[in-house]
Amino acid sequence: MLRVEGVAVAYDGIPILRDVSLEVGRGEAVGVIGPNGAGKTTLLRTIASLVRPQAGSVSWDSLRLDLLSAHQVARRGVVYIPAERELFPQMTVLENLQLGSYPHPSGYPVRLAFIFDLFPRLAERRHQRAGTLSGGEQQMLAIARGVMMQPKLLLLDEPSTGLAPLLVAELYRQLGRLRDEGLTVLLAEQQVPRALEFCRRLYVLENGQVVLAGSPDDLLKNPALKRAYLGIA
Amino acid sequence: MIGVLLDGLVQGLQLALLGVGITLVYGLGGVLNLAHGQLAVVAGVTTALLIGAGFGRIPSAFLGLLGAGLAGVIIDRTLLLPAYRRRGEERLLLALILTLGLSFGVDGFLAYRYPSVALTLRLPVGAVVLAGVRVRTVSLAVAGLALLAFALLALFLKRTLLGKAVRSIIQNETGASLCGIDVGRTRTLIVGMSGLLAGLAGLSQGLFSNLGPEMGPEFTVLALIVAVVGGVRSLSGTVIAGLLLGLVNAVASFYVGTYLTWILLLLAALLTLLVRPEGLLAYWT
Repeated sequence: MLRVEGVAVAYDGIPILRDVSLEVGRGEAVGVIGPNGAGKTTLLRTIASLVRPQAGSVSWDSLRLDLLSAHQVARRGVVYIPAERELFPQMTVLENLQLGSYPHPSGYPVRLAFIFDLFPRLAERRHQRAGTLSGGEQQMLAIARGVMMQPKLLLLDEPSTGLAPLLVAELYRQLGRLRDEGLTVLLAEQQVPRALEFCRRLYVLENGQVVLAGSPDDLLKNPALKRAYLGIA
Repeated sequence: MIGVLLDGLVQGLQLALLGVGITLVYGLGGVLNLAHGQLAVVAGVTTALLIGAGFGRIPSAFLGLLGAGLAGVIIDRTLLLPAYRRRGEERLLLALILTLGLSFGVDGFLAYRYPSVALTLRLPVGAVVLAGVRVRTVSLAVAGLALLAFALLALFLKRTLLGKAVRSIIQNETGASLCGIDVGRTRTLIVGMSGLLAGLAGLSQGLFSNLGPEMGPEFTVLALIVAVVGGVRSLSGTVIAGLLLGLVNAVASFYVGTYLTWILLLLAALLTLLVRPEGLLAYWT
């Protein structure tokens, strides 16, 4: 399980995360929602060890992630899919996926077949350079590459950003398949209805602090949340 | 004329060996190694000393190459660490200063300790006739070694997972880390490889004429010119640039005189920077 305890992060003295704690159990799909600038991306980047917290700790089963470097965290199975995707633009779809298998190269053909079954569009474009793919395809490739790494925990940062609604629906269908097969997911999402539908539990982050936590039903009972995020009076 | 062109191509391969080393390190680490030429000299001096001590020429050359590779690894893991802690322009500038200092230090040490050690490698046969053209065996040897090195490098980068990891770091360092790739360790490997390539260029010089301990700075400047003209983004561009400059150099030396060499090469670099400056700047972000 993932345990984030009392994490505080500041950039140039400006606090972004203040005393954030959360937990994600094995096989759970947990969401982090909140407005722009709430600190969702910073939280995920901190868990992935791209950012060092000034206070607090991040651990996966009893292993302290915040004491490791980013590539070590990734090798341990905590895989971060950033909103910027961070693909290798001059390399083909296939090569990007091959690099996903870098930490654990064995079983590559089986995993590749699974990925192509999940994302047939990537199979069609396997020899195309990643930089020439559409936004939606790049997002699929980023997630597919992450899944190639045999993640124990997938950290998804706003996967719906910049995608047309139909594509978002398709993406979440595939993510749902992965979730149903037992993948542990921590999802940061701006599109609150998607998050409420996908996740079993959610945390609401505002100004770098957790202000609400609970199941989708619990959160929907909260009038402030409904007003702020769903526009329902 | 054919002889001149062939000579030019072989010289070009030697220039390409130097340029590719610089390009690899710049692409992977964002640093320009101003002590690159000294790595070629390390290979030469080590080989010469071993031959002088009675070892066979081939084992000595092999160990000389390894010495250059090892020197690259040591530089990466010690001297360049402060540079790697910074990003972008800061990293580049700090690395320039550090490696410049190192190049002075190595030069000074060699001038003091081994002032007259020079590497001269002679082959048993002077020349052969191929398709009616008289070709020096030295040219064949250098061409063969350089082409083999490039072929192995290309295979490594295109066909092995580690080679793809190297290319991925050049394209997106963050993405590479997120795939579990240890950027620092991979970078050390590449700096070691660039040392091997520089060493091979140094040994080639020993085959052509002789390699003296004072030739470090000259090699560094040649490497930089080739890398700049090729556009430090692309390895194949650097190889082509090396070949072209080698041809230009050989033809000009033959028809006009060797004193033009440096002027022409520097002119080529200047023109490239004027016309295509983004070749170098593209990696600053």
